Amino acid sequence: MKIGFYNEFLPCIVKEDGVVDISDAVSALKVSSPQFLLEKMIVNFNSLRSRLEVLANKGNVIPFGDQVRLRPPVPRPGKIIAGQGNYKEGVPITPARPLRTFFKSPEAIIGPGDTIVLPKHRPVIFNHEAELAFVIGKPAKNVLEADALNYVFGYTTAVDVSARAPEDGEAQLPGTADAHYGKSFDTFLPIGPAITTADEIDNPNSLRVRYWVNGELRQDYNTDDMDHNIAYIISTVSHVMTLKPGDLIIAGTNHGNLGPLQDGDLGEIHIEKVGSSSNHVTDSLKRTWDPHNLRSPALNTANRERLKGVWHRGTWPFPPST
Amino acid sequence: MKIGFYDDFRPCILKDDGVIDITDDVKSMDEGSPQLLMESIISNFETIRPRLNELHDKGTVIPIRNVRLRAPLPRPGKVLCGNTNYMEHVPINPPRPLISFFKSPDAIIGPGDTVVLPTFRPVIFNHEAELCVVIGKDAKELDIDDALNCVFGYTTGVDVSARAPTEGESDLPGGYGKSFDTFLPIGPAITTADEISDPNNLNVQYRVNGELRQNYNTSDMEHSIAYLIAALSHVMTLKPGDLIMAGTNHSYLGPLQDGDVAEIEIEKVGRSTQIVVDSLKRKWDPHNLRQPEELAARRETQKTQPHPGSWPFQPVGGA
Repeated sequence: MKIGFYNEFLPCIVKEDGVVDISDAVSALKVSSPQFLLEKMIVNFNSLRSRLEVLANKGNVIPFGDQVRLRPPVPRPGKIIAGQGNYKEGVPITPARPLRTFFKSPEAIIGPGDTIVLPKHRPVIFNHEAELAFVIGKPAKNVLEADALNYVFGYTTAVDVSARAPEDGEAQLPGTADAHYGKSFDTFLPIGPAITTADEIDNPNSLRVRYWVNGELRQDYNTDDMDHNIAYIISTVSHVMTLKPGDLIIAGTNHGNLGPLQDGDLGEIHIEKVGSSSNHVTDSLKRTWDPHNLRSPALNTANRERLKGVWHRGTWPFPPST
Repeated sequence: MKIGFYDDFRPCILKDDGVIDITDDVKSMDEGSPQLLMESIISNFETIRPRLNELHDKGTVIPIRNVRLRAPLPRPGKVLCGNTNYMEHVPINPPRPLISFFKSPDAIIGPGDTVVLPTFRPVIFNHEAELCVVIGKDAKELDIDDALNCVFGYTTGVDVSARAPTEGESDLPGGYGKSFDTFLPIGPAITTADEISDPNNLNVQYRVNGELRQNYNTSDMEHSIAYLIAALSHVMTLKPGDLIMAGTNHSYLGPLQDGDVAEIEIEKVGRSTQIVVDSLKRKWDPHNLRQPEELAARRETQKTQPHPGSWPFQPVGGA
């Protein structure tokens, strides 16, 4: 089942041809904040499920078109945790390098059809990073990897829009290397079209992810190349902080064929079984980059080969690898 | 006025001798989430203020010994923290860029709550006593001169920090040595902005087991509260109920360890205590504190290091 929001953040089931309004089915939750409503729906999903399934099969479908505007299915997550450099990009390293993650601003969230607004900050480039995202379903603390997928409510798509600064990460922004404020500008996290519940995804580490700009395919990779899989990310992060229902984790991207986002672009992400979502880009400064100058997979491979020889301490709390 | 929560997250006015319950007066805003309730109180404060003033003067005071105070912001939408944002008595001109980071909102605990040290093995767990700002209204691309207008109030915060042997906390999955659950005690309440004429002139003190450790004034801040808000608002919209921690002066930082009872106090803002537990019962010398001379030496070396300035304010050397 695909759960989302439409128009003035009314809750809905998203189907192929339109949405089914579920406001009445969840009215007992008595909540007006969209994010809090989602969290209550997640927590109460087992008791809501049979009613929602009836609606999904027999409810009145409001067809896509002028009457329906899909909204971000996770409107303002309590935490957004993002995987960094989390794809092997064709070069496995054994033992795996430590998982790295960072926080992203919840105000960066936008929904399907919304507009990415490039700030006046002058980076080398604004990149799209198409990523599998997932939504936590119940409080997770010190979770074992073997149990970790039980804490996933569902999956959605995400684009981790990234302003890359000339040097030192985004050092002249107020963020540190660990915070990456070049990724936290408002509108820099399109998600959607809905949350596909976990029962529809038997293996989140076997999904094809694609990203197009103006109809031209750029990123095209499979989540089976992830360095630290979804279960490992949940387990590891849960050893630091409690993950809560409605928290969003974005799993990182394969950097092959990353390119610029610029004024007038229409970007579209598609993840197998999860869905499609598109976004416009505007830039008041009308800066231009060569849309065919993409990050070559060979460069990523070279970067990974270089990392093979770099010592690391392993990721706590799992056994260090040296 | 001081606004907070007590017992089962019931909203209250905090006075010197106790609390005045305001549940009935804000009932229409309550959907069952304490954080959302506080955000509504903040957003609607001018409307409810006359009634709260009346209660402040005439309401029934529940004695402080009969209540448990709770974190005044139970789960902020964002927790943004200044990093090394004090001059530590060595001004650098022009100032080095502001650096800041996110902290997990689930690190928040309230007055009297317990900081639980994780089994992660760092060099040390430090207390960092800090002035905290609570945002009062949507703030985007503010000028420094306007920035304080979006402040709802102030509270105290302790940025508990696990320091790893080398490279920050690089063997954790992020800069997460500061984001363990319970690593952000705040409280006792939010002191509304009208009671603080200058947030950059407040004494901050931190005591462990009755012994004074940190003792500094926010006038030594490198990037003022107004600058901090303005700069961050050029990256992301600040929202009612967001928390900004201003950073700490590292002088006399020391260890937090099992059995410690600690207390932060900020002039005009309030006082809040924490207990520390560590299942591994690790030990550090409680009198081995960070010395001001060592910090001043670090700042002296930074004087000659080039830096690119803080976007979007006065970049140094180009742009």
